[in-house]
Amino acid sequence: MKVGFEIHIQLNTTEKLFCSCSPQASDTGFFTFYRRLRASPSELGEVDPAAAFEMEKGQKITYVAGNKTSCLVEADEEPPHEPNPEAIKSAIKIANIFGSVIVDEIHFMRKIVVDGSNPSGFQRTAIVGLGGSFTHRGKSVGLTTICLEEDAARLEKKEKEGPVYSLDRQGVPLLEITTEPLELSPGDAESLARNIGRTLKLTGLFARGLGTIRQDVNLSMEGHGVVEVKGVQKLEQIKKVMEFEEKRQGWLIEVAKRLRERGITEEEIDSLSPVDVTDELLRSSSGKVRDLVNRGRAFGVRAPGFESLIGSEPIPDARLGLDLADLCRLFGIGGIIHSDEIGKYGLESDIISSLRSKLGLKESDGFLIAIAGEDQFARCFPYLKERLKAALSGPIAETRAATAKGTTRFMRPRPGASRMYPETDVPTIMISSKMKEEYRLSIKSWDEMVNDYAKRYSLPRQLAEQVLDSDFAGWFDEVLQKHKVQPSVVASLVAQVLSSLENQQAINLGEFERLIDAWEKGLVSKEAVIDIARQMAEKGMGFDQAVGSLNVKPLSVEELRSIIKEKLEELKGEGFSEGRLYGALMGRVMEVARGRIDGKVVNEEVKKAIEEAKRSQS
Amino acid sequence: MEGLNLKPGDRVKIEVNGNIISGTVMPRSAYEPPDAITLKLSNGYNIGVSLKGVKVLEVEEGGLNIPIEEGEGAEEIGNGPRVLILGTGGTIASRIDYRTGAVRPALSAKRLVEMIPELPNHATISVKTLMNELSENMRPAYWKQMALTVANAFMSGYEAVIIAHGTDTMHYTSAALSFALDGLPGPVVLVGSQRSSDRPSSDAYSNLLGAVLFSTKAKLSGVYVAMHGSTSDDVIAIHSGVRVRKLHTSRRDAFRSVNSRPVAHVNVNSLEVKAEATGEEKEGKLSVYPEFDDSAFLLKFYPGIRDSFIDAIVKEGVKAMILEGTGLGHVGRYVFERLNRFIKMGGFVGMTSQCIWGSVNMNVYETGRDLLSLGIVPLGDMLSEVALVKAMWGLGNGFDLHEIMPKNLRGELRERREVEA
Repeated sequence: MKVGFEIHIQLNTTEKLFCSCSPQASDTGFFTFYRRLRASPSELGEVDPAAAFEMEKGQKITYVAGNKTSCLVEADEEPPHEPNPEAIKSAIKIANIFGSVIVDEIHFMRKIVVDGSNPSGFQRTAIVGLGGSFTHRGKSVGLTTICLEEDAARLEKKEKEGPVYSLDRQGVPLLEITTEPLELSPGDAESLARNIGRTLKLTGLFARGLGTIRQDVNLSMEGHGVVEVKGVQKLEQIKKVMEFEEKRQGWLIEVAKRLRERGITEEEIDSLSPVDVTDELLRSSSGKVRDLVNRGRAFGVRAPGFESLIGSEPIPDARLGLDLADLCRLFGIGGIIHSDEIGKYGLESDIISSLRSKLGLKESDGFLIAIAGEDQFARCFPYLKERLKAALSGPIAETRAATAKGTTRFMRPRPGASRMYPETDVPTIMISSKMKEEYRLSIKSWDEMVNDYAKRYSLPRQLAEQVLDSDFAGWFDEVLQKHKVQPSVVASLVAQVLSSLENQQAINLGEFERLIDAWEKGLVSKEAVIDIARQMAEKGMGFDQAVGSLNVKPLSVEELRSIIKEKLEELKGEGFSEGRLYGALMGRVMEVARGRIDGKVVNEEVKKAIEEAKRSQS
Repeated sequence: MEGLNLKPGDRVKIEVNGNIISGTVMPRSAYEPPDAITLKLSNGYNIGVSLKGVKVLEVEEGGLNIPIEEGEGAEEIGNGPRVLILGTGGTIASRIDYRTGAVRPALSAKRLVEMIPELPNHATISVKTLMNELSENMRPAYWKQMALTVANAFMSGYEAVIIAHGTDTMHYTSAALSFALDGLPGPVVLVGSQRSSDRPSSDAYSNLLGAVLFSTKAKLSGVYVAMHGSTSDDVIAIHSGVRVRKLHTSRRDAFRSVNSRPVAHVNVNSLEVKAEATGEEKEGKLSVYPEFDDSAFLLKFYPGIRDSFIDAIVKEGVKAMILEGTGLGHVGRYVFERLNRFIKMGGFVGMTSQCIWGSVNMNVYETGRDLLSLGIVPLGDMLSEVALVKAMWGLGNGFDLHEIMPKNLRGELRERREVEA
C-alpha cells in the first residue's frame, strides 16, 4: 500500500494571512450569523463532486465571530488584503530547507470547499515550492509541493440543522507539505511523519499548541483511487489507520471480484429505482421495525449481487454496510436496514418474502431499506446508486475521517482538480532571486535541540524529547516561566497525562495551570500532582472536582502525628515484631498520607513515633 | 512569451534549474510582467515561472476550450406568474472567464433554475440579456433602454420584471426607472450581488429568489431593490427604488433604506413575504417618460471649495445643480454669489444634505434663510442621488423643475420620518 502525507502546520505570524487579525488573541464579544453554500461550476464549467455532495446536504452553517480574532475578511464580507509578507518569507525559508524549486510568482487559488469550514466556500491556497526532498532513515523521500494557505474555521459542534464553526482559526497562515506516495510499512510511515514534523519544529517558524500541526494521510492500492484520511490527530494513529485501510481496501477488491463473478454490471445498477415498502413493513409486529418506520417512509432498493457482501467485514467497522449507512446519515437519514442484518430486526419471514418479491430480488441479490422523507431520499438516492456502482471497481477515491479507534469512516467523494480556480482578489506575488537567496535558515539538529532543552530544564533526555514531540511544549515553557516549580514534574504531567489523551482538543489547560499553581503555593503536594492530573484528564474533571474526589487534602504535621498514633495502636494489636514495625507502619500511614504531605516528613515522624513508643515501653 | 512562442492552451514541459515542470500555459493579465508565464499544473494550481533560464522541452498545441454557456433562448421554465429576468451586467449577471479575464453574460433560465431549484415552484421564468455593463459604466441612455424594455414586457403580458444589475450604481438606476415608469401595473425589482455567482458563498441566488418571491407574492407595483437584509443568508430586504442607497463597499447588506424602513422582508428559507409598508400602488395606465438629460450636476460642498469651480461647471452648460450641503442644508457664504449668478441666468439649484440621514430644513439657521432668499429649492429628505436623477429626468422630459422637484412623485420625498427607521 502506498502512503503519502499532507502535513499542515500553522505559522506563528503576528497577523493572519489575508487580514490584520491576531491569530492568538483570547476573545470577547461574539457575533453569530449563518450562511448556506452552493456548489458553483468552476472555470471549466464543471461542478466538483465533493462540492456538489456537500451542497446536496443543504445545511445551515452557523459562524461565531469574535471581535479580536476575526473581521469582515473572515466573514467573507470584505475582499482579502494583500498576503502577509511575514508568512511568505517563512514559506520561502521552509521551501529552501527542503531544496524545493521556489516559484517566480505566487498565484493564489480558490479551492472549493462547501462543508462550511470556509465562509467563502473556498480555501485560498498557493504553491510556493515544487519538489524537494527529505532524508528519512538514509532514504530520500520526495516532496511534491509546499503550499501556503489559509487555515479553515474551527468546528465547534454539529447541530441537527448543520455545523457551527468559530472563525478564530479561519485565515491563520498554514504551510502544507505534501510527500510523494511511497511504499512504506506502517511503522516507517509513522516515523517519517514524526521526523518531518520535528524538522519543521526546529525552524521556530511555527505555532505551538493543540491543533497547530495536523496531517492527512493518503492511502492507495496499486491501480485504485487514492483514499484521503483526514483528522489523524496523533502520530500513533497513523499505524492503526494504515493497517485498517489495508484490510478494508483489500476487502473491497474482493467484493468487486465477487460481484463481477456474479455477473453484475454497471448498467444493471444504473437502472435501479427505489420502491416504497412502507406498507409491507407496517404489517410487522416487530417493535424495532415499527419504531423505525414511524419516522418516515421506507424506501427499498435492490442491491444486485450484494448478498452477504454488505454485512461482512474483514475487521470490525470495515463493512460496506457501514459506508452506505454513513452516506445516508450525511443526508440526515438515520435509519437504514440491509439484507445481511435483517435478522436483527425480528421481521417475520412472510414479510421478508413479500419484501423480496416487491423489490424483485433474484438469487444472490441483497437489498437496502432507508427510512426517510421523500425529498430527503430523492437527494440521497443518486449517491447511493453511485456507491453501489463503485463497489464493482474496488476501493474508490474518497475522503474519509479517522476515528479515535484508528478506523476510518466515509466523509465525502474526493475533490478533483476542477475545484481550483484563480483567486482574482489577490494580486500575483513576485519572488525575486534575491529573496530566494536571502530567505534561508540554518537549523540545529533534532538531537541538539533535545539536548539543549534537557539542559535548560534539567530533564532526562527522553523526557525532554517527549515534551518537544508533544503539542504542549509551548504550554510547558509558559508554565515554567510563570511558576517556580520542578520542571521534571510538569514534564511528566505532559508526557504521561496530557499526551496520552485521545481527545486532546477537549483539554482545558487553564485547569491544569491551576493545579501547578496550587502545588507552587503548597496546597497540593508534589506527589499528588500527577495523580490529580490523571483524575482530571481521565474523568474530564476540573481541578477542584478532582481534588475533592481524590482525598488529597494536604495534611498538617499535627494531623499526620495523630494518624501515625492511630496506625501504631492498630499494629500493636496485631503483634508486629520490632524489626518489622517500621516498614509496616510506613505502609499503613502512606495509604492515607500519600500525596498529602512530603514523604520525607512522614518518614521522620514515623521514626520519631517508633522511638517514642520504645522509650515509653522501656 | 512571444520569444518562446508559447500560446495560452499549449501543454508544455519545461526545465527550470534542472527540474522538470509540466503544465498548461494560461493567459496573463496586462498587469502581470510579460517575461514570465502562468502554468496550470495537473493538480489545478497555477504558478508563475520566469522565462529567464527556462528550457522548453516539449510543446503540444492545445488551444483553450472555453466552456460555452447555454444560450438564453426563448425558453420559459416553471409554474405561476410570468416573470422576466433581464440581465444588464455586473457581478450577478455575468461570469468572469478566468482564462481570458473577459466578463461574459451568463444568465440563462436553465442555469438559474439549476442553481435555485425552488424558483420554478413560484414563477414562470424567462431570461433576456439586455446589455452587459458593469454598473460604473451605466449611463442615462441605458436607463432609457431599460425603461422601454420593462414597459414592453408588461405590455406583452409579463406580471413582473426582475433586473439583474451591478450594485455600485443600482440605486441610481432604480431611481431613474421609478421616474420613467408611471402607473406600473406590477413590480420591477432590481437585484444585485456583493459576492460573485461563481463563489459558493454568493448572495446572488438568495437575492434573486427573494426578488422572485416578492414580485409574485406581495402584489405591490413600483420599482424596488432586493438585497440581503443582514450578513446571514436569511432575510432579503425589499427597498423602495427611490429611498435606497449603497452604504457599504463590500458587505452583503450594503443597501439600506434611508429615512424609512424596507417595504418588505422575504425569508428565503421559510419562503415567507412580509410587507412592512404598503407600496405606491398606482391604478391606471402605464405611461413612459424615458428621456434623461445629463446637464444636471451633483455638487458636494466642502470647506474651502473654490468658487471658480462653480463657474467652470456653469460654463459647461449645466442647467440644474443639486447641492449636497452640510447639515440641515448649508453651503459657505463664499459661494453665495456664484450660485446667485447661476440662478439669475435661469439655472435650477436644489438643496439636499450630505448627512444622508434626515431632511434639510433651511429655516433653522440664518445661512439657510439666506440661501432660500437666493432661490435655492430645499428638497426635504430626498437622497442627493435621487434628486440628481430626478433633475435629469425632469430636464429630459420637459418638466418644470421648480414645479416637480419639491413635489413628491414616487415616494422620494416624505414629510414624516419615524423615530425608528
